[in-house]
Amino acid sequence: MFLELSQIKRAFGEGESRVEVLKGIDLQIEKGEFCVLLGPSGSGKSTLLNIIGGIDTADSGYISINGEKTADMNEKALTKYRRKHLGYIFQMYNLIPNLNIKENVEVGAYLSDSPLEVDELLKTLGLYEHRHKLPNQLSGGQQQRTAIGRALVKNPDILLCDEPTGALDYKTSKEILALIDDVHNKYGTTVVMVTHNDAIKNMADRVVSLRDGMIRKNYLNETKLTVDELEW
Amino acid sequence: MRDPLNKRLGRQLREELGKYVIIFLFFVMMIGAVSGFIISDTGMINAYNESFEKYNIEDGNLEFTLDPDKDTIEDIEKDGGIKLYENFYKDEETDSFDSTLRIYGERDEIDRLCLWEGEFPSADDDIALDRLYAQNHDLKVGSSFEVSGRTLNVCGIVAFTDYSALYESPSDLMFDNDMFGVGAVTDAGFDSFNDDHLHYNYSWLYDKSPDGDVQAQEMSEELMKTVAEKAMLQNFIPAYSNQAIHFAGNDLHNDRTSILVFLYITMVILAFIFVVTTESTIAKEAAVIGTLRASGYTRGEIVRHYMKLPMYTLTAGAIVGNIVGYTLMEKYMAAAYLGSYSLTTYSVSFSADAFVLTTLIPFVIMFVINLAALTRKLTLSPLKFLRRDLTRGQKKKAFRLNTKIGIMTRFRLRIFFQNISGYIVIIFGIILGYSILFFGLMFEPMLDNFKEETVNNMIADSIYVLRMPAETDAASAEKAAMTSLKTTFEKYKAEDVSVYGISENSRYVKIDHNGGVTISTAFMNKYGLKKGDSITLTEKYGDKDYEFEITGFYDYPSTIAVFMDIDDFCETFDMDEGYFNIYFADEKIEDIDEKLIMSKITEDNLTKTSRQMTRSMSGIMTVFKWFGVVMFVMVIYLLAKLIIDKNAQSISMTKILGYSNREINGLYVHTTTIVALLSMLVTLPLVDFLIGAIFKMVFMSYSGYFAYETDLTVMVKCFITGVISYSLVAFVLNRGVKKIPLAEALKNAE
Repeated sequence: MFLELSQIKRAFGEGESRVEVLKGIDLQIEKGEFCVLLGPSGSGKSTLLNIIGGIDTADSGYISINGEKTADMNEKALTKYRRKHLGYIFQMYNLIPNLNIKENVEVGAYLSDSPLEVDELLKTLGLYEHRHKLPNQLSGGQQQRTAIGRALVKNPDILLCDEPTGALDYKTSKEILALIDDVHNKYGTTVVMVTHNDAIKNMADRVVSLRDGMIRKNYLNETKLTVDELEW
Repeated sequence: MRDPLNKRLGRQLREELGKYVIIFLFFVMMIGAVSGFIISDTGMINAYNESFEKYNIEDGNLEFTLDPDKDTIEDIEKDGGIKLYENFYKDEETDSFDSTLRIYGERDEIDRLCLWEGEFPSADDDIALDRLYAQNHDLKVGSSFEVSGRTLNVCGIVAFTDYSALYESPSDLMFDNDMFGVGAVTDAGFDSFNDDHLHYNYSWLYDKSPDGDVQAQEMSEELMKTVAEKAMLQNFIPAYSNQAIHFAGNDLHNDRTSILVFLYITMVILAFIFVVTTESTIAKEAAVIGTLRASGYTRGEIVRHYMKLPMYTLTAGAIVGNIVGYTLMEKYMAAAYLGSYSLTTYSVSFSADAFVLTTLIPFVIMFVINLAALTRKLTLSPLKFLRRDLTRGQKKKAFRLNTKIGIMTRFRLRIFFQNISGYIVIIFGIILGYSILFFGLMFEPMLDNFKEETVNNMIADSIYVLRMPAETDAASAEKAAMTSLKTTFEKYKAEDVSVYGISENSRYVKIDHNGGVTISTAFMNKYGLKKGDSITLTEKYGDKDYEFEITGFYDYPSTIAVFMDIDDFCETFDMDEGYFNIYFADEKIEDIDEKLIMSKITEDNLTKTSRQMTRSMSGIMTVFKWFGVVMFVMVIYLLAKLIIDKNAQSISMTKILGYSNREINGLYVHTTTIVALLSMLVTLPLVDFLIGAIFKMVFMSYSGYFAYETDLTVMVKCFITGVISYSLVAFVLNRGVKKIPLAEALKNAE
């Protein structure tokens, strides 16, 4: 199994205000799978993604990627893990504001031994003519494309997407989803996407539905739709 | 209802405790030091100003070569419009330690003494000693010491109001309270010393006091002519030009101005630090501000809210600073002056002036600068805040950087340009810190160098100045002539010039006797003179001018002097052929009657400047060194931390991307490191130049010459101290970067 989560628990606060956000998550994702984590606000899906991404740590349980357990890793190893295996896309893009578009992507490329060609990628993302602009000179969709470019350029094993269309309009959202799907298909990248948009589950290989910190449903999607076919 | 936003203040303070603690300490340090200084300075200035009337300080003093009779005195008093007071003294050598003690008799009418401790002399062997001189030789009330073979008992510690700075001679560059002191004995005690070293000195008071220095100068010039017509003058020193009376007062006034200028420069830098930090807080809290504005909070309410913490910090710093100033620093600052000057007793009281200067004005500076910056920033619409877009007008365009430059270097350049305002403040902070540090480090080697140069370039071990020609058998003695003239440069205050007549084959002064005059290198350097220039000098106690052409320079680094052929000297000054009045000698001349020797110029006389400056400035220089370091650390830390705080989300994002702490430090801390180190390197010569210019300006108003020369080691020490200070900051910053959580990047996704 490529990505394995076992009995992941995470709580916040102490005493009476203690809230158990994840109550023992078991999940297995195959290499190259497109997995959607679905659920309402407070279900624990973003917390779970952050734990997979090494941004947060679980109180108990473990995550292993290709047999490597993140719990056994020190800070340095964890950094290396993120550097080598992960690409991250956030709802609010999180671009570096004082770098131009090309430089934001190059920041990702710097981390990889075999990065994708930056200019080619910018062309693919439709950003080449904007490459000298600062992030705040672009629309939300263009900024999100840049964030995708930054995540993809290092050719990661896993692409973690946290509500990547949450701040975008319908049309732009579909463009972004199509882009992620293309990458998934073209490079065989494993994608884990958190969303509260129920429609997106239809483009995934695996759908994991969370509520109150527990997995309610975990199934393989037999009737995958293309992005164009998605409606919400 | 109380402003609910106040509840955020505690949290904001906790979040940025380090920053506010440093700013608070900065205020306490600055306001404490300056208010302590101003309070003690004000107390001393008041006491000093009052002392002229309280102790009846003279309008001037003059010395006759021979004591004039009663009729001459009355004649001078009548024609000169003055009252003369006998104020004879005897310069005696102390046996218990190496020094000259100027002994006066009782002073009941003029230049009365201020008693610090003990009592005035009542027995013949009693002496009341100057406080500083006593302190420097470990003499207390009840101590005894030997003077010219006699034992004197210290009965009192006093301040001589006409010797607040212990200048032995008015032509001295610097006073010397170690090798020279003053004491008062009873009249009978005075008479019991032999008259070998008796000086017929009189102090005078005008019948009608002059109104200001200009009138005092006019009156004294008239008086000098009157006196010179009636008796042979040895010395004539009007009070307005007497350094022994006025140096301390001027220094107290000048220091006050300098320290206030320093305070306000620091406050402006600090205010800009505040502006930069507050702007960073606003950027960080843009969404909160946007929400509050959208909810109906007025701009004024938001401005007031963000003004509160800086102003509370300043208020707290000002309160503690004033307490520290009145309790601890006042004594420390006063000690610096009392360690240099023989001032009268003074008292400290609450000074409204000090409060306004040290607290109110800085408060207003900070308030206005912060208010202006915040008000301007908060004119943006709530929507812009909500969108975290704090740009004004058109969106900022990115300038292009050559893509051949590696991404990490471009990243650093972007960080540099993004934070350029912060870096400019850092550079000013470095200049200010350096200036203080430089000032603290430069004196010791400069004084050592001055002393070494002076000693190495002495004409002879001793120069004996005679009252009248006398022969000696001392083998090394060489006859020469000397007189004193005054400079007449328009831009500068007149000062004494020693004019030497040198015999043709002198073994002591080797100069070309080619018609013109040779001037000392001190003279050349101080006034920027060159070969071929003409100089006009004038009589000290007359109005005859002498014009000389400069034909050469003689390496004599601390004395303003002119050298010429002795025959030319005699011709110029109407002396008989073969005239001489000084001996150069490398040995002690013992076969000339002491009464015929007016003074001796030895190594001690020439090096008293460096000795006194070392003594009076070493304490304060240590303070300067530490203050410079603290200034360095605080300014760089505050601003560099700000750059880290401002980029916390980007740093967090780069961590998420997989950058190691080392790489991130390489981006965010190393950019500051490069700026700091380059600034330290580049600004050092600038600071050297600035200090040199200030130094030259200050020393132009002093008699004699003190060369501004900075040792390379001072530069190196400054740079190393800067680097060490910065390393400390960088260490803390590196830890700060390490502490930024990965989750920071998620914050704007709330």
